[in-house]
Amino acid sequence: MADYRELWQKLGMDLEKHDVLCEVLPQLYGGIYLNQENRPEGMNYYNFVVAEVHGLRIKELDDHKQQGGKVVGTFCVFVPDELILAAGAIGVGLCAGSQFWIEDGEKVLPRNICPLVKAFTGAKLSGTCPYFQSCDMIIGETTCDAKKKAWEILDDYVDTYVMDLPQMKREKDYKKWAEEIYDLKDKLEKLTGNVITEEKLHDAIKLCNRKRMALQRLYNARKALDLPISGKDALLISQIAFYDNPERFIEMTNALCDELEDRIKKGIAVNKKGSKRILISGTPMAVPNWKIHHIIETSGAMVVAEETCTGTRYFENLVDETPTTMDGMVKALADRYLKINCACFTPNKGREEDIIRLAKEYKADGVIYNSLQFCHTYNIEYANVEKALKEAGIPVLFIESDYSNDDVGQIQTRVEAFLEMIG
Amino acid sequence: MEYDYYILFNTHTDGLNMAKRLKESNIKYTITPTPRQLSKCCGIAIKYEHEDEKAILDIIDKYDIKVLGLHSLERKNVDIKFI
Repeated sequence: MADYRELWQKLGMDLEKHDVLCEVLPQLYGGIYLNQENRPEGMNYYNFVVAEVHGLRIKELDDHKQQGGKVVGTFCVFVPDELILAAGAIGVGLCAGSQFWIEDGEKVLPRNICPLVKAFTGAKLSGTCPYFQSCDMIIGETTCDAKKKAWEILDDYVDTYVMDLPQMKREKDYKKWAEEIYDLKDKLEKLTGNVITEEKLHDAIKLCNRKRMALQRLYNARKALDLPISGKDALLISQIAFYDNPERFIEMTNALCDELEDRIKKGIAVNKKGSKRILISGTPMAVPNWKIHHIIETSGAMVVAEETCTGTRYFENLVDETPTTMDGMVKALADRYLKINCACFTPNKGREEDIIRLAKEYKADGVIYNSLQFCHTYNIEYANVEKALKEAGIPVLFIESDYSNDDVGQIQTRVEAFLEMIG
Repeated sequence: MEYDYYILFNTHTDGLNMAKRLKESNIKYTITPTPRQLSKCCGIAIKYEHEDEKAILDIIDKYDIKVLGLHSLERKNVDIKFI
């Protein structure tokens, strides 16, 4: 067995505490993922990534650092990966989807804030996330108050740079976001000692677009009535996209899509005839948050798409590859990223339109609106989304939850009642 | 009592090599995290069907794949606890 303890120790991790996580993860993953019937063979790659989640990829990051490279952590789909890659750094989307880190997060943060923010803070403070420990810098953003203030605390533990995301979409906001992208370019150049040339940025734009296209292809396969892949598996793939080697991820995801498209042709499905199709909409689901998908898919329905940051918001809209000057490319980046309809914007009618469009595209029978506890923007925005969905004749169920087991039974009952109602 | 069957490896490279050979031979397998009951170290294992054990031993022999042994584990229904 590969023994990564020496590497973890070098990263300053709390090995004893981390071992608790290592102990429960195989069982959780086995119970949620490996018990599914008729999974595509291509899922073996993602099983491999999970099995090596704190091993091989961490070793790859370490090798990169040994050669003088930098590792940069991010938490939000607004932070442009293209710049990180163009600076010769490796970007990792940091997970914050576990109850395991909440207690440590609450040592420095109030209890009544979003579990994602408490979890990422706890992950750093407890020294139990090797990705976090590998980061030379993290890039935060101003998508909510909880994050905005948590960066100030986190900065005591790791170099934390914050991008100021505008929260309206006027012409001046696009200009401001382009300026923020330029500022990040300077910061990354200083961190890495590498100049982000036009050529490097253009290559990075093309690479990130290829990753988006692989994910779009995966999601397109989920539009089939005979589903070739479960929602749980698709969610896992999206989650892995945030930290895997991009080239390898693209290759393996396209290989999986070949298999899924073949399954569609042959009518090989993971769903039972007549099972309800659910669109998830709401807050991100970071690893290992598989709670809502598991509840839905063990209640006889299937998740067909996610209008979330770990779903369509991550890969819809490509960056225009036409510009080759720095100004042109930065503008193209600003334009693409500001197309994301996050609840931090006001007004945010685009998101209502996205949800209705996706429900139709994926032939969803209903929407489950999932919001993390205390996430004000998504919680409040539900009122308008509910109204819009009602007008469009699309049933919707609202769930507010955290990462704990406490409300699993209650959510299960509500999901089952919802499925019965839309039946 | 029902059992699940696993191959354990020294390194992920050996595991991936085994997976490649199993695929070539059309033997059904699943890459899994190593069950904690079998090893305290993280990393990959391969779950296989018991009926394929003879063919798997032949592959290990033929391609000289380094394994940490073939193991069985009693299958238990465990309640899912999110972490």
